[in-house]
Amino acid sequence: MTRPTDDDRTGGDDHRNDHDPILALREISKAYGDVTALSGVDLSVEPGTIHALVGPNGSGKTTLFRIALGLTRPSSGSVDAPADGIGPGFQRANFYRDLTVAENLDVFAALTGADDEAWREELCSTLRLDRVRDRRAGDLSGGFGKKLDLALALLNRPAVVCLDEPMGDLDDVSKTNLLDLLTDYRDEGHAVVVSTHQLGAFADVIDHLTVLHDGAVLVDEPRAAIDLGEHDSLHDLYVARSLAAERDATGDI
Amino acid sequence: MDIPSLLGKEVRWSRHRLVTLCFLLLVLPAFFATTTAAFGTVIPEDAPVGIVAENESVTDDEIALIKGGLTLFSEPRVYENASAARRALQREQVYAVLEVPPGLYDDGTNNVTFTLTVDGSVVPFEQPSKAIQGIAGGYLDREFDADVTVRREVVGGTHSLSEYLLPVFLLGIVMLFAFTYLPYTLARERDVLDRLLVESSLDAVVATKIGYFAALMLIPTLAFGAAAAYLNYSVTLFAPGAIAVLLLTFVYLAAISTSIMILTNFDTVGRFLNVAVLLAAITFSNLVYPVGFFSPVRREIARLIPLHYSMVVTRSLTLKDTPPSLYGDYVLALVGFTVLTLFVLKLSIERYKRTI
Repeated sequence: MTRPTDDDRTGGDDHRNDHDPILALREISKAYGDVTALSGVDLSVEPGTIHALVGPNGSGKTTLFRIALGLTRPSSGSVDAPADGIGPGFQRANFYRDLTVAENLDVFAALTGADDEAWREELCSTLRLDRVRDRRAGDLSGGFGKKLDLALALLNRPAVVCLDEPMGDLDDVSKTNLLDLLTDYRDEGHAVVVSTHQLGAFADVIDHLTVLHDGAVLVDEPRAAIDLGEHDSLHDLYVARSLAAERDATGDI
Repeated sequence: MDIPSLLGKEVRWSRHRLVTLCFLLLVLPAFFATTTAAFGTVIPEDAPVGIVAENESVTDDEIALIKGGLTLFSEPRVYENASAARRALQREQVYAVLEVPPGLYDDGTNNVTFTLTVDGSVVPFEQPSKAIQGIAGGYLDREFDADVTVRREVVGGTHSLSEYLLPVFLLGIVMLFAFTYLPYTLARERDVLDRLLVESSLDAVVATKIGYFAALMLIPTLAFGAAAAYLNYSVTLFAPGAIAVLLLTFVYLAAISTSIMILTNFDTVGRFLNVAVLLAAITFSNLVYPVGFFSPVRREIARLIPLHYSMVVTRSLTLKDTPPSLYGDYVLALVGFTVLTLFVLKLSIERYKRTI
């Protein structure tokens, strides 16, 4: 898809193979004045995968996330995004606070051309939004606000959804439901990108892991290729690698 | 697909803001309209007054002498003929026209009569024009040997101050809405801006909002119309030309306030800035009083502000029996200014896209 407002984004290939990336960010750099947020970052997301983007605070996850969505212009590099757009899920829930939950769903369904009523009902049911359907969105709890944001991201069944901290504010039951929803979505051939601090919650479902540190890629491997080595879990490995990178950067022994 | 969808959203939003909208669009306009009944007098000050020779035998020296005298209590402007002077009067370029009779220096002339013509619809100038009549009469009587009389003639229908204020207050409501409520809704839009930028575009969001609110401006017009009917005012608020200028005015004001909001990243400071622009516009556009009231500086400032011309055209088309074509150049200038503000709005949107 070519976004008319974004010179650096190029159109997706309609004849891509199953293993061709559905979303590709190449050599992305971003600087805010003297501060370098991202430096030559590549991100390649394949269809039918859950791709986790993790990293400590300030590692550049959100900047990369916004560049993928076309909300921030990279200083250099290119973005190849799918023609039908990306479903965005935001860390700070993004919806009309003065409208009800149902009205928000109506508005964005109309805006994105989402006309699959059954899917909408399934989303509401899985995310347990049906019980707050007529409530003003601004009055929702943090958890329900996050659920509404997730529902809006998935509403028109986009080929790729980019979710920033999707587990934030969710209770354990809802987290499980969300994981089920996302794995089903992945299994249908869609790509799911999650930017998260909670790698542990996604450890069992992710297909690809990209770790950012100080604006650069520290790890970028398919889950199957990652050797845990001495570590008990993916989470432990991520923490150890990040701490090691931190020590290298500061010169600590 | 964007525009109808966003339009649907605006309607839904309005339902949730019904009390606020009712207050702003119905109660406040009705209150403003009713308060016009409390106004009865105005403050006289200097203002543009036209001078025109009654016929070709009036010499340039006589005109120059009259002009010098009028400078003491007005800003005199000399016109070539009566129709040009009358046109200027109808367009509020001048607020009175003094017609100079011939033979002022003829030895045999015992009585001369000047005619001071004023427009009956410019109510705040009624008392000042009477003062000008008296002052001019005394001055001219001293300057010439003949007995000088200044006759005051009112053209067009006469109106009460209350009627005169009705279009003024209607424009005030349009300004209030453009500089306060519209920025407020834009600030609220910030909550969902990222999603809108992904799913739609800022251009579409802004265009829909301005279009929708412009249409809402018909509601206060109806409210004013109802109040005018109730108060038995002789005002044609539903003149198509007046409504068109009112909507055009809202569009350029909305473009300005929206540009301010976008340039300030939808921040609260943008809302304060808009209120400041509103107050400045009210203060310097001379919406109520003729230009030249209070100070000559304000006269010149008012002539530079498009709102002043919006007011002149709206007032003229609602109070006077004049053809809209008389204000063609004013309207053209307003259209040009609207295009300019929309261009600035587009630039501010592009700047926003580049800075996020």
